[in-house]
Amino acid sequence: MSKLVGLFSGAVSGGRGRRVGLYVVLYALAILAALALSALLVVLATDASPWSVFKAMYDGSLRDGAAFGLSLDEATPLLVVALGTILATRCGIINIGQEGQLIIGATFATWVALEFPGGGFPAIAATMLVAALGGALWAGIAAVLRFTRKVDVVISTLLMNFIAAEVVSFAVNRAYLLRETSVGGQLTVPQSDRIPENTRLPRIGHFPDFNVSTGVFLAIVLTAVIAVVVVRTRWGFRLRMLGMNPMAAASAGVSVAAVGATALILSGAFAGVAGGVMLTGTAFRLQPGFSQSVGYDGLLVALIARGSPIACVPVAFFFGVLRAGGGFLASTGVPRYLVNIVQSLLVLAALFPPVFLGLRERRKQLARARAAARMSDASVDTELVPA
Amino acid sequence: MASVVNERPSGAAMGGGSPPPVAAVELRGITKRFGDVVACDAVDLAVARGEIHGLLGQNGAGKSTLMKILLGLHNADAGQILVSGRPVVVKDPLVAASMGIAMVHQHFSVIGALRVWENVTLGERGRVDPKRAARHVREIGERYGLAVDPQARIEDLTTGQRQRVEIIKCLRRNPDILVLDEPTSVLTLAESQDLFGVLRRVVQEESRAVVLISHKLDEVLHATDKVTIMRDGAVVARHRTADTDASELAREMVGREVSLRSTAGAALGVVVDDAAAEADAAARAVRSAREVVLAIDDAHAKSSDGRRLLDGLTLDVRRGEILGLAGVEGNGQAALGLLLSSVLPLDRGTVSVSGEVVRTGKPGAMLRAGVGVIPEDRHECGCVLDMTVAENLVLADIDTVSSGVFVNTRLMRERAAELIERFSIKTPSPDTLMRQLSGGNQQRVVIARELSRGPKVLVAAQPTHGLDVGAIEFVAEQLRAAADAGVAVLLISTELEEILALADRVAVINSGRIMGVLDRADVELERLGLMLGGRAA
Amino acid sequence: MNDLTTILSSAMRLTAPLAFAGAGEQVAERSGTLNISIEAMMLAGAFFGLLGTSIFGNVAVGFVVGAAAGLAVAVIHANFSHRLNANTFVVGLTLNVLLLGLTSFLDETIDMTPHQAGVIRIPVLRSIPVIGEPLFVNRWPMYLLVVVLPLSYWLVQRTRWGLEVRASGEDPQAADVTGIDVNKRRRQSLYYCGLLAGLGGAYLAIAEVGTFNQNMTAGRGFLVNSAVIFGGWTLKGTMGGCFLFGAADALRLALPALGYTITPQLLIMAPYLLAILAMLFFASRNRKPAALAVAFERGIT
Repeated sequence: MSKLVGLFSGAVSGGRGRRVGLYVVLYALAILAALALSALLVVLATDASPWSVFKAMYDGSLRDGAAFGLSLDEATPLLVVALGTILATRCGIINIGQEGQLIIGATFATWVALEFPGGGFPAIAATMLVAALGGALWAGIAAVLRFTRKVDVVISTLLMNFIAAEVVSFAVNRAYLLRETSVGGQLTVPQSDRIPENTRLPRIGHFPDFNVSTGVFLAIVLTAVIAVVVVRTRWGFRLRMLGMNPMAAASAGVSVAAVGATALILSGAFAGVAGGVMLTGTAFRLQPGFSQSVGYDGLLVALIARGSPIACVPVAFFFGVLRAGGGFLASTGVPRYLVNIVQSLLVLAALFPPVFLGLRERRKQLARARAAARMSDASVDTELVPA
Repeated sequence: MASVVNERPSGAAMGGGSPPPVAAVELRGITKRFGDVVACDAVDLAVARGEIHGLLGQNGAGKSTLMKILLGLHNADAGQILVSGRPVVVKDPLVAASMGIAMVHQHFSVIGALRVWENVTLGERGRVDPKRAARHVREIGERYGLAVDPQARIEDLTTGQRQRVEIIKCLRRNPDILVLDEPTSVLTLAESQDLFGVLRRVVQEESRAVVLISHKLDEVLHATDKVTIMRDGAVVARHRTADTDASELAREMVGREVSLRSTAGAALGVVVDDAAAEADAAARAVRSAREVVLAIDDAHAKSSDGRRLLDGLTLDVRRGEILGLAGVEGNGQAALGLLLSSVLPLDRGTVSVSGEVVRTGKPGAMLRAGVGVIPEDRHECGCVLDMTVAENLVLADIDTVSSGVFVNTRLMRERAAELIERFSIKTPSPDTLMRQLSGGNQQRVVIARELSRGPKVLVAAQPTHGLDVGAIEFVAEQLRAAADAGVAVLLISTELEEILALADRVAVINSGRIMGVLDRADVELERLGLMLGGRAA
Repeated sequence: MNDLTTILSSAMRLTAPLAFAGAGEQVAERSGTLNISIEAMMLAGAFFGLLGTSIFGNVAVGFVVGAAAGLAVAVIHANFSHRLNANTFVVGLTLNVLLLGLTSFLDETIDMTPHQAGVIRIPVLRSIPVIGEPLFVNRWPMYLLVVVLPLSYWLVQRTRWGLEVRASGEDPQAADVTGIDVNKRRRQSLYYCGLLAGLGGAYLAIAEVGTFNQNMTAGRGFLVNSAVIFGGWTLKGTMGGCFLFGAADALRLALPALGYTITPQLLIMAPYLLAILAMLFFASRNRKPAALAVAFERGIT
């Protein structure tokens, strides 16, 4: 991680204006190429025009207050997931189990939201806390496996995602757990009841004007907290030390197990909170497929933001815009899956410039070396009598 | 003896005969920069068949970089390489191999999970033939006295055996030019002698060329035919080995007069054979009356894959003394360092500081008990390269420069400024990244941090490894001063010369066990050599 | 006895796609890549395999197209993570999203005709009791495994290429010093994995089902990752894992019909659980390639 950051900052500060210019051009080209590919796909495979597709995505995400609010709602859980992820990556732990941690958090949250008497702020607070607990628990299993039996975190968190999906499926399939209650003998489907109105996050503004769930404020507060924690506190210092050099940290008295496990568990808690935010802010009920890949996308946000909490904000918003815009696509008769394509092409495009320039630098060095060798060859060859 | 700094005779001319024979390999005007640092500055070097050519220089003089260019691991910015008189472009190690250049690396290039024969065929072309490879391992092993089981896995071998595999791997390719990078650092005295015997055969009977990279004067004087001395990336002198002596080489290597009977001499690999402390019997009595500060009793530890690291190690270090722990690399020194850094837990046995038993393997426990460690590999566990100098100076003491849960950057910078001044650390600012400092200054940061905590015990593991003479002298002074101030100093080193120059008592470690402890004055090299090889005192 | 044969036959059919991809992934992981884009490769193989079959009217051609599609995904993944040194998980996850989107998108916009591979009944052997039918009455692509599995073993264990692949996965720095182009070997193993995962995906669509459904792999790619871990990074173990997971799937489908009730969720999660348990209890026996999922960059030691 630090290597990546170093590469990035080095390239920007070291090379001055020309370097920065090159970056801007490369980013622009890469993003244009991604969009052009998407457009080509629309032309080849559908009757719609690319223009109408991009316009629909714009209409759905940015055109007016309501659309903008929708983008913010989509960005909120992504940002929360990403913030937690940063805690883990900062200390060198790769948690890719946010998806599972998120839905376990949401499952716990659903139970509390449905059972907590009275509703209102206490109910919402309790729901969020329990959501955090659920995510923390799920990540905690990976932490225990790692720090007692040395099981790789990447692998265990990945596998736990699928176990979590089945746990949720199990819960919403059992009447004695979370399956919806049958009203007047109606058939039920495997999903939970809707959580009560008074246990939902309040919204600001009203449709058709700008309106947004208050979850976004929670996300912003958390961003500020994480930004301060990782940069300014003793714990953040230890976290950084651990991520950059675990051996040095251990000999300086940092408990790799304690700090690492805490960071991993906290990152799970954040994913859990994201699940809680989705439940109380937009979804209101638990069902299989609840997460809609928010866990994976949140992880991507953190990785693209390269460990900076502040950088997560625009990246998460960008992802939110794509998600919100995608919902609107159906109106043009283009399958909504196009959004997944556009999004992933854009991610690949965003990866390209820094790594490409790094590669080019290495190539140049080699070429210089070869040229130097060849030049001196020529001078020698003239002196040598051919055998 | 006619050797002037600016003189640049070609290797061929030095051969003496006429017409001059073509050198097996010749480097002309090789220049290599890393950022602003010039690692090699227009270096010329010629090595003839049938000679062992010493490449002598301090750490950081550019020897290894030069050889890595020859091997195709780095690409030179300028200059050219001639093999048997023909200019060539060595783009990668495969090309080097095809031209008959092979290298025994300082950090081995053998792969632990693979078998010996697999490692030996690695990096070649064509079909893999297990039987033939195994046969070659056995044949070469017999011919040169480098026996090793071709079916063994590398991870089960000792460091000495691993080096054998490395050498077999090179010789199997029948190279014209064999480069060895500091090969004796992992060997016992006897093993080193054996190695030089092998090299002698390789040049005399098979007429190959050998380049021996070293920073040890004795070794170069003993084993080479010619020697080229490098300093600060440039060649400063060349000699026939027979025409020169230790003090001349030392002067050229360091760039000033060096007393060979000093720590600097030890750093250059000259054994200080008679102890200055010999007459000092009274001082000895005083020292031995002092209380034991660090006591390790019957320590047993295993690695995670079940290998035995410490096997009943017992050791006492007293207040105000330097106890030198000598041993060949890989005999438990690293484990001992980790133990005293609270990283390695013991299966059995105890560690106590000033009579209090300290829990092993509990992060920070040793630290709190008053044990300071200058670790063996400062990049690996002594500092954090991507943090600033100021941050590195308070790695373990972040609590002392904090207000509440927050780090107080003002306090941290004040502390840094004070230590930078006191330990003469050369850095543009306290906010410079550790990565950008020279090795010597990085080591100063580590020492400053550990000493500023006022430790009762100071463990210095290979504290001068990779430093130039100036920095080595600084480290030695600091260790001496610490001991004089009452700190119990444990100096762990594979360089016998260093231990003999600095220690008050010498302990020898072998296979995770102490073979014996001697007073410096009682040390006889021969006996020490036997102990290093695993014979009890 | 008849029930057992039926379940075993079903287990074989469900194992085959995993086995193709598993043989590939085992090679990729030995080279040091923890490839989480198998899902994408298999989806690509399934969709484009059927598309190829649909266009050319020939299942064999479909398999070639499917393998090529898996390879194409691998080429993107390999060049991003082992040439440009981008984070392999970012690339892998992104490719999963990309291929899920792309295949679902195209599935809604392109019409394809269903196709299914023919069944081969091997005489005599098919009449062996219990195992005769599961092993010797299958759609013909199943028998490609007879070539693919020995080939994969031979490649890794017997060839110079395989030796260099293993070296790259164990100690890339040392391998580099020896003159092995570590990232090239890693790219090539990923290509091999892409080809085989593409075949596995194609098997899913055109050998057994005959049509394409959106997200038809449904997490099988990750099952393959689990199988490699469960199998302790050996080919034999990986195949054992694949069969075990295929059998669990077959049981899930068969048990209700046989009158047994067992929680389906438990059977679905069993493979992932088993993989974790394998890591817990066989950690010392199962050797993970030391540099698995560690990017290699020259000059950084």
